[in-house]
Amino acid sequence: MLLHLDRTFESADAEAEHRIAELYREFGGPLLRHIRRSTGNDLQWAEDVVQETLVRAWRNSARLQWEPGLIWAWLLTVARRIVIDGRRRRSVRPMEVEAPEIDVLAVPDGAERSLSAIVVADALRSLTEEHREVIEQTYLRDRTISEAAEILGIPPGTVKSRLYYGIRALREVLRDKGVAG
Amino acid sequence: MHEEVAAYVLGVLDEDENEAFERHLDTCTACQAELKRLVEVPDLLDELKHLPSASEDDRSR
Ligand SMILES: [Zn+2]
Repeated sequence: MLLHLDRTFESADAEAEHRIAELYREFGGPLLRHIRRSTGNDLQWAEDVVQETLVRAWRNSARLQWEPGLIWAWLLTVARRIVIDGRRRRSVRPMEVEAPEIDVLAVPDGAERSLSAIVVADALRSLTEEHREVIEQTYLRDRTISEAAEILGIPPGTVKSRLYYGIRALREVLRDKGVAG
Repeated sequence: MHEEVAAYVLGVLDEDENEAFERHLDTCTACQAELKRLVEVPDLLDELKHLPSASEDDRSR
């Protein structure tokens, strides 16, 4: 992984390189294990995401003074965004062609669903239509708030607000089902 | 601004909104606590995404 750093930071001073190498030692392993799942086990892609995440962490190093739980939540969120951006770029579907409105909750023929996938799908179905809809039209389809707002014909602020209450409600249901802490 | 924490944790804010929210996060302890509570939700939602994996190769026809 450090080979990538040499390329990225040819002009950066040794101090910065040293600091980023430290971040790798502290967070690189756990981040890589976490990210691999969302890159479909694409190890090269996952390593690139870890690298970009830690470079951003270094650029915002004041946040590394936070308590460990908050640092971890922040790093995971930074990494998730990088994965989503990458998936949008890699998407083989042309963005301007609207995909058929497949039911993201439907189980594809012949596909095996893990137990937690079934629990999460049930939890999502238990939400109100308004809450479920914004979660489906944003995160589950890799769309931004603005894109979802346009598709749903509601203001972006409404999408954000419904997402807030919807995600909080979803977490409560998942906690009751014992899959969230 | 507080309500954007959900869109932030899901990674669905536009780039400038994302940066603005992170600056808010720097000083808002309520959103910091909420971020920690919500951070596992997108991981659980990933169970529903049809992520590319070896086991799903046979889905293309
Ligand atoms: Zn706040």
